[in-house]
Amino acid sequence: MATASVYSGPGFDFTNEVRNNFLTDRGIPLPKATSTGTTIVGCLFKDGIILGADTRATEGPIVADKNCEKIHYITDNIRCCGAGTAADTEFTTALISSNMELHALSTGRKPRVVTAMTMLKQMLFRYQGHIGAALVLGGVDVTGPQLFTIHPHGSTDKLPYVTMGSGSLAAMAVFEAQWKPNMERAEALDLVCAAISAGIFNDLGSGSNVDACVITASHTEMLRNFVKPNERVQKERSYTFRRGTTEWKKEEIRALVVEEDITHITGRGTEEAMDTS
Amino acid sequence: MPDGSFAHPQQRQFNPYSDNGGTILAIAGADFTVIAGDTRQSEGYSIQTRYAPKVFRLTDRAVLAVNGFAADGNMFVKKVKQRLEWYRHAHAKDMPLRAIARLIQTMLYAQRFFPYYVYNILGGIEEDGTGAVYSFDPVGSYEREACRAAGAAQSLVQPFLDNQIYFKNQKAAPGTTHPAHLPLSDVLSIVIDSFTSATERHIEVGDGLEIYVVVAQGRSPQGLDAFRGAQELSTQPNGDRMFIIRRELKKD
Amino acid sequence: MFLTRSEYDRGVNTFSPEGRLFQVEYAIEAIKLGSTTVGVRTPEGVVLGVEKRVQSPLLESSSIEKIMEIDHHLGCAMSGLTADARTMIDHARVTAQNHSFTYDERIKVESVTQAVCDLALRFGESVHDEDAMMSRPFGVALLIAGIDELGPQLFHTDPSGTFVRYDAKAIGSGSEAAQSELQDKWHKQMTLQEAQILVLKVLKQVMEEKLDHHNVQLAQVTPTVGFEILDEVRLKEIIDLM
Repeated sequence: MATASVYSGPGFDFTNEVRNNFLTDRGIPLPKATSTGTTIVGCLFKDGIILGADTRATEGPIVADKNCEKIHYITDNIRCCGAGTAADTEFTTALISSNMELHALSTGRKPRVVTAMTMLKQMLFRYQGHIGAALVLGGVDVTGPQLFTIHPHGSTDKLPYVTMGSGSLAAMAVFEAQWKPNMERAEALDLVCAAISAGIFNDLGSGSNVDACVITASHTEMLRNFVKPNERVQKERSYTFRRGTTEWKKEEIRALVVEEDITHITGRGTEEAMDTS
Repeated sequence: MPDGSFAHPQQRQFNPYSDNGGTILAIAGADFTVIAGDTRQSEGYSIQTRYAPKVFRLTDRAVLAVNGFAADGNMFVKKVKQRLEWYRHAHAKDMPLRAIARLIQTMLYAQRFFPYYVYNILGGIEEDGTGAVYSFDPVGSYEREACRAAGAAQSLVQPFLDNQIYFKNQKAAPGTTHPAHLPLSDVLSIVIDSFTSATERHIEVGDGLEIYVVVAQGRSPQGLDAFRGAQELSTQPNGDRMFIIRRELKKD
Repeated sequence: MFLTRSEYDRGVNTFSPEGRLFQVEYAIEAIKLGSTTVGVRTPEGVVLGVEKRVQSPLLESSSIEKIMEIDHHLGCAMSGLTADARTMIDHARVTAQNHSFTYDERIKVESVTQAVCDLALRFGESVHDEDAMMSRPFGVALLIAGIDELGPQLFHTDPSGTFVRYDAKAIGSGSEAAQSELQDKWHKQMTLQEAQILVLKVLKQVMEEKLDHHNVQLAQVTPTVGFEILDEVRLKEIIDLM
């Protein structure tokens, strides 16, 4: 039986593939996706994991969003930072978040970071790199603190400190210089801040504020806009316009409330009123 | 092939150009001109330096802003300055602004088939004492204008200038007309706001701002005093006066 | 005159033991054989005048060309071997055009004069093994008149490549008498018309023939019109005024 046209199957829809290839051949390129040319990091410390991210989203050389969120929720005890194509990182982490919730419900256990990591890498591998998501996954579960990177083709690394995105080299330089095992929370948070700041100030793809997330066995603390080193300065002038600045060619005013005549179709007054007693 | 040779002809190419980002702009007033540029120099996502000037003093009354490929820009300015010195020796005077404009055209067009990858904006005081801005394309097409932005954030800044300087899409209040020229203090405010805004939304703009102000002989640089740290560069006590204002821009 | 004349008067690039370049000096002598040419500068403009020697009644006097335009704002009168002047004026014209092409402004009078004088010194010059382009000095002197941002100016050039600015200058065969007359009569606040009359009077004094509109030519450079050679009608009017 043919499926109804309103039904859309699971997974991606490839119906426009042939048309889009044709258009590309004719010199009409596909629209550019928003990319989070980004600095994201994660590091292990005494009590758990700290994740960090900048907040700039770009479209080519233009800043599309000055304060976006790149640390995504997976479960209460797991978060994931995304770099690459914004839509891919957002969609992928949301999908895995849902699947993790379902998994937790069906197993009745607290979710583990390796589970999320495995789901992510299997999905990304299946799509052969076409899903442009580069992720830093971190959390604390029954096995202890866990920190991974996941590349767009599906490969993963498990390391005590990791960086990703266009600012990864700047951030890694800070980690390589200063990271040490068993740091205190404050010290580790400062280090993550320094690593993200290195990306913000030295990588053009990264900018604006520092977001951080501290995950311990007992608690997850999301530190949105933990540092704001790039506040917009006061403008020299005010750019309000006089009323009537914009010219118009034609003015037409219509009444939106149309008058109504109500005609009674039944009970023209001859019939007795309904007995409501 | 197994021996390391190729079965088919191979083509190799070296691209001698790169884009070093940044933005420049100039605005002419009735008897002054403001020429400005940010100081960031970048390649790709990397900052090469946070202080590489793009605006250069040529004579007592001419300033050149150069944007595009920095190596070409620096070499071009060097050659223009050399030609100005030769001219000074040959003709015993500084080259007038419109003569510099024409010279820049001939120098750019001389490289018609291997161009300097630069957009030039020349600003200063004309021989009749009026403020003037000349803008060029990389092969020498040029035009005198009241204002011009060029470089990475041209598409962000030029529409703003069109609206604020030329009053495009603004109907004047009844019984009034838009002024042909704005006072210096307004122009400086617009220049600073152009750059802080371009810095907000363009990744290649930032770090520092250098604003050159050239004021015609005998005119007071009124409105300049409101901008702290204006440094005078004039060489003659009663000729045209030149100032530079430096500002910090965001560094992310 | 040249008592020490010797083998040193042959080469154009050989000094005599007294430090003289005889060929250059002889070239300057050649100018003294040329017809008289006069230039007068006033605050209103510069006037040039030449004597045209009409040696035969069959000669078409209008074909004698001793005043030429260099550019809109520059004129030039000559005396001596006028054929040599063609090379110099060609060079001056190219220099002036090149300047306005490159700088979108009129070349200064001094600059164009300098360019001509640079050329005048290129005799005997050769690069490596190549033959020299010019074998001898030019045998002509020029009066270059023009107006630029410094006002009306008159320059004199000679075959040695030297140039000097004058308020009034005469060159050619009658130059000595003419120059002393100019010295007497020229004054600072001269009008253009006074200058025209002065030029004609000076020429009249040194000419053998009776001066008329066929055997003299006048030209002027003014801020409004630029360079112009006065036509016979206007020339006649001035002669009548004289």
